[in-house]
Amino acid sequence: MNQKAHNPGSPGPEEKDLDAEIHTIRAEISTLAHRKRILTTSLLTTPTIKSLLRNANTNTNAKTPTTLKEDLSPLATAAGAHSSTNHHRIAFGATAFPFKDPAPNSPAPNLLGVRIDICARGRFVKPYYVLLRQEGKGKQKEMKMCVHRHTIPAFIAVDRLAGVFLASSSRRRVEDEEGEEGEGGVLKSSRGARRQDLRGFVRELRRELVAWHLRCEAVGFLREKLGLDRDVDAGNEEGEEKQWGEGGASRNDLGIVRLEATAVEARYVRMEWEDGRLGRFKLSNAGLVERAVFMNDRGRDKVVEDAVTGGGGRIESLFERLKELEALEARS
Amino acid sequence: MARSRTVRAPTTASLPNSLRIPSTTPSLSKTLGKLSRSTLLDLALSWLEDRNVESFPPYLQPSDTSNNDNEETLPYPAAETLAEVREAYIDLRNRKGGKQEIIERILEGDWRHGITLRQLAMADLRYMDDRPASLRWTAMELVRVNDVANSKSKNISDTIASASEDWSSHIPRIQAASFVKSLHAEIAPLVKAHYHLSRSSTLPLTFLRIFIIDSPYQNPRQQPEIFTDATRIIYIAFPDSCPYFYTSSITTSNASSSTSLGAGSLATDPRTLQRLVREAIPKALSRPHQRFTLKPTALAAKNLQTLLTLRGPGRSTSSNGAFSIFADAALEGSPLDPRPSNTVLAEEHMRGREENDTHSHDDASKSARPATNKRPSGSGTVTTTERALSPDSKKRRLAVESRFGTVGCSITPAPLDRLDIRLLDSLGANDDDDPDPDRNAANLAPAVSVTFTGSDVIGGIRKLAELGVVDPEHMPSWMTGEEAVSTAFVREGKRLHVER
Repeated sequence: MNQKAHNPGSPGPEEKDLDAEIHTIRAEISTLAHRKRILTTSLLTTPTIKSLLRNANTNTNAKTPTTLKEDLSPLATAAGAHSSTNHHRIAFGATAFPFKDPAPNSPAPNLLGVRIDICARGRFVKPYYVLLRQEGKGKQKEMKMCVHRHTIPAFIAVDRLAGVFLASSSRRRVEDEEGEEGEGGVLKSSRGARRQDLRGFVRELRRELVAWHLRCEAVGFLREKLGLDRDVDAGNEEGEEKQWGEGGASRNDLGIVRLEATAVEARYVRMEWEDGRLGRFKLSNAGLVERAVFMNDRGRDKVVEDAVTGGGGRIESLFERLKELEALEARS
Repeated sequence: MARSRTVRAPTTASLPNSLRIPSTTPSLSKTLGKLSRSTLLDLALSWLEDRNVESFPPYLQPSDTSNNDNEETLPYPAAETLAEVREAYIDLRNRKGGKQEIIERILEGDWRHGITLRQLAMADLRYMDDRPASLRWTAMELVRVNDVANSKSKNISDTIASASEDWSSHIPRIQAASFVKSLHAEIAPLVKAHYHLSRSSTLPLTFLRIFIIDSPYQNPRQQPEIFTDATRIIYIAFPDSCPYFYTSSITTSNASSSTSLGAGSLATDPRTLQRLVREAIPKALSRPHQRFTLKPTALAAKNLQTLLTLRGPGRSTSSNGAFSIFADAALEGSPLDPRPSNTVLAEEHMRGREENDTHSHDDASKSARPATNKRPSGSGTVTTTERALSPDSKKRRLAVESRFGTVGCSITPAPLDRLDIRLLDSLGANDDDDPDPDRNAANLAPAVSVTFTGSDVIGGIRKLAELGVVDPEHMPSWMTGEEAVSTAFVREGKRLHVER
């Protein structure tokens, strides 16, 4: 790289080449540096290093050079703590942490943060956070948590969830409903007074978030099957039409030109065929097609609707069912 | 115009898309003149697209030309085919020139018989795409009526009974066409309107442009100027998947009352008409057993992006200010990241999870800007190296970081152009004069209003705090944008939730 950087007076195209080369080399350096950082930090948490350090601490306390120990131990503890946090985040999906509200005149500056990690398509999405604050002063028994801030997308009714699970236990005592918390059956309607159920709240919230990601994934999976995402890359819609011919047989069979979620929450999915047939179906949290309306030029297409919702109704096998239907129709 | 021939009878139908405004109307060229040259050309070409052109065809040479003597004297001879017209605009795009010639060509040439309402609406929406800050928007929230009743009566068992398994179906589902239909049913007896729906090309929004007029007739006999009267146009923007919507607010209050042509009674005032439309929106969205009502959210801003960030479908809607670190996930990375999160720059967390991130500036800037790594103390994750000895500036920076979070350096900037704060702290006594019903009115409260205006108010306060003008540790949280409002009543540094 140095050698090439020395001759800047070279003519245009060569210079460009060199610039590009320098750029790639720089990028490589930075990825390597990044890798180095990852490796060094993960090295600190390997069992070997850990046990070595522990041995050094316990057995040969006097013998080890103190400088090394002092240098290493804070790093090692930090790395250890971080990795254990990570293990918890990976294993449990929902973890809690304390957070201090920096606002000077906040009535309850100590907040309880709940972090929800979701793995979608093999990678972790940005964690979702809910920060809860304590309300109700004085009596510890009546301690009430309520949602202070959160990063949950707007279509999930955090307020309503909180209203059900974190509703205040009001004045009444809650002994009579002690058993309810254990089974987690919070959804069953009972008398007004109830205990706050933070676990239930987080569980429902996480379930809703996971279901959303799964729905998005399912739509993405179907689009991938149709090869629609590639068409988007290819550009214009006219091009899309042409690509049907050269694409895989599965795409030709069905002739679906559009399949997309109608809104961010991916609850409803809209389909469009080449020949103008339209369809819309509702995805349940469990990945089933709950309801479907399909239209052809004569009106409601009940046969397709049955095919879409029937046969177990799994979203993943939607195209197989449609194909079966087409095969049936072709035979008759 | 063909107006004189039509039968005039009062109807409840909406104004037709094809209603033509004579192209000689001077305000028409003013409206078109707001657009830039390239936008104008795009617009004209989109008018000529196949799916649009039948609703407002350009003026073409009649095939049986008996006498076209006067035609030839005109500066823009009529084209013979549609392709010719398209060609002309493509030619115009390829060469340089002013936009005036395009406006003239549109008004005196190809659409000399008038611009339809739909064309006008398309032009207006183009303008909005070009200048997202041209209007001032107010965010409104749609609340389920049941929810409101429940929260007020504190009847929890009701809530539980009504709680379904599905926690993500509470937002009104908007099917644009049927919404317009029911909105029309709501307001048709009161005002005559023209509706135009369009999807924003830049933001995840659906615009509804409503032009209102107080005439029961299909072809109103008002001055054609009225069709370009900005006070008679309401824009409603529906963001995807969230219980909010934004309406454009009237800016010229005095001018509107004077220019309203059928003046006199209160009912014909554009403001009243706008209010009618706004009140009809929740009704149009309601369905049996699922009624909605409007709730003001105390946020108005010029920038639509701001509204989307602060009252939108995303993560940042209810975590701002100090909590924006959570919205941007600047606090920590993925659980698969072995690096302790306080040694990684916040920007790097925020940048998302692309694999081939360039980390070139990473190590270098880590030593240069250690403050960025520091998060508010007690954030619970690994906080190891407590850099105890720090100069004042560093301390201040830490405080600023903790108070403002990622505001100002966020991925989705949300500049507020105006922040009105009414301070209700009274002198001594705990009384005040705010419209809060549960407080008694008092006399010893000075009415102090603070108004900040600028291109980015919160960002500006952050700068002031960085410079040491504002004490970052003791300033109230509304100064950090945490409340995400543009108007607020504040007592003892806390925002009061004024019930209406």
